Amino acid sequence: MKYRTRAYRAFTALNVGFMFLVVVIMAFPYVNVLAKSLNESKDTLLGGITLWPRKPTLENYQALLADKQLLASAVVSVQRVLLGTVTSVATQFLAAYALAQKRLVGKTGILIFFMIPMYFSAGLIPQYILYSQLSLTNSFWVYILPGIFSFFNIVIIRTYMHTLPESLSESAKLDGANHPRILLNITLPMSLPILATITLWQAVGHWNDWTTTLYFVTRPRLFTLQYVLMQIITEADRVRQTIQYALQEGLDLSDQAATTTPEALRAAQVVFTTLPIILVYPFLQKYFIKGVMIGAIKD
Amino acid sequence: MTGGVVRKITKPALRDNLVWARRNYGIYVMLLPAGAACFVFSYLPMAGLVVAFKDYNLFKGPFGSPWNGMANIQRIFTMPGIVQSIWNTLRVSVLTLLVGFPAPIIFALMLNELDIRWYKRVVQTISYMPYFLSWISVIGIVMNLYSVYGPINDLRLLLLGPDAKRVLFLSNPAFFIPNVLILTVWKGLGWDSIIYIAAITSIDPQLYEAAAMDGAGKLRQTWHITLTGILPTTMILLILRLGGLFGSNFELIYGLRNPFVNFEVISTIVFKMGIQQADFGLASAVGFMQGLVALALTFGSNKLSKMVSGAGVW
Repeated sequence: MKYRTRAYRAFTALNVGFMFLVVVIMAFPYVNVLAKSLNESKDTLLGGITLWPRKPTLENYQALLADKQLLASAVVSVQRVLLGTVTSVATQFLAAYALAQKRLVGKTGILIFFMIPMYFSAGLIPQYILYSQLSLTNSFWVYILPGIFSFFNIVIIRTYMHTLPESLSESAKLDGANHPRILLNITLPMSLPILATITLWQAVGHWNDWTTTLYFVTRPRLFTLQYVLMQIITEADRVRQTIQYALQEGLDLSDQAATTTPEALRAAQVVFTTLPIILVYPFLQKYFIKGVMIGAIKD
Repeated sequence: MTGGVVRKITKPALRDNLVWARRNYGIYVMLLPAGAACFVFSYLPMAGLVVAFKDYNLFKGPFGSPWNGMANIQRIFTMPGIVQSIWNTLRVSVLTLLVGFPAPIIFALMLNELDIRWYKRVVQTISYMPYFLSWISVIGIVMNLYSVYGPINDLRLLLLGPDAKRVLFLSNPAFFIPNVLILTVWKGLGWDSIIYIAAITSIDPQLYEAAAMDGAGKLRQTWHITLTGILPTTMILLILRLGGLFGSNFELIYGLRNPFVNFEVISTIVFKMGIQQADFGLASAVGFMQGLVALALTFGSNKLSKMVSGAGVW
């Protein structure tokens, strides 16, 4: 039903304008970082960089990549995303399949067991003590193992499975198929849309996490990219160290003392760290959103 | 004999169940990885909470260390830093709730009125984006925005004339909480609105037609149909939010602090005292109290919501 009152038309105009403002506020900060990272660092110090670089250059990125720690941590991050995502999605999918069985004996008990940690957690310190006793601190596995369980994700996958037609698995059961077979040949292919969603969530979560490193890891060999970004952002010394590396690599030492400023370096690092997500996001947006929609249906 | 009848019915049911469980043991194997991870990483730390009541000794471990009763709990309230951090946590989370909770609802309502479909899609795509950036990159972006020669200072000079001074926004403690609020809304606005948009879409359009027939204007329809329609969703999200009132966004606050602004909340003080200074007893006592309060808040708000609106998490 259309409303053509004057007040409503005025509102629509305002609304369109307001939404434009929202888009600008959401997008501009990122565009500005991008522009700065691609601009000559000394020129940036004059101010006035808005949407695009005034003196385009890649030297901020060259300086960034001269820092060997950064590349090593990128490798750790990629390994973590791959292994962490595969293990967690597999674990959650298996659990969701089991919990989607109508006649699962002991289902209520299992659900309560899984649910309690959602409402009460022991906190950071008992976790820290446990991890040190399990030798998880300063180990790559601290990135993988604690994250494989997520009740929220299990519930979402299970809710999705409930919407699948039962007749297929029922008839497969009558034909003598066992659970692993039904799981692999029927449920898995039909659950691919929701698994794509959960996979993306997990991958983004693994990529973006840095507190695990902050809490449990002190060995530089295991630092993730986000953690190094945190260091570059919050620790002035860390930035200077990177610039030092760049100088040692002999980057543009001829005329100027420094090839980059902390500010330009930070901008380049932000872009370097977020680029995978920014590039992938527009294509996978619908999968990201699907889970929220399913989560909104109360199970 | 009712007792006999009951026994006759339940006994075979139990046996049936056991038979089912034995025949389908594979199902339980499938639950094993999730169950084990949940037990090890969520339940075992709960046993470690004994540390909150112990004089923790690194070499004796959590169970070998001597008990010291409520000493750690008492220390919480005698240390000014902790009391201050509790107060800070409450201040930030109440303000975040007041600003951050209604914002996505209003955004969803306005988005719903947008008739130009391609425009709506562009707005949605761009507004969801910040959610996928890590908090630390958001902070990096903001440092860039606020930097002395960054766009906000440029804009300030443009408005106030070239004689105005360039301001260090992030080293001013007065701007800390406003920045926390702005960043929280910036990052979550679009994403948090998805669930409301979904709820609005599921409202029966006939309701609007009937209301229009009865002469209800756009505003009355929004109030009586849209807002009423999304009330259960709103209540559930509110309950979950209230449960987190004593928690705070560690990543945002830790990252946004700097040598000029030393703002402590509960989670940052637990990190500082526990992991950096290794005062495990005190830090886990703080964490334990925080967990208990969160639990009580969730239960309390759930009860309240059930009384008021009939909707609850359980």
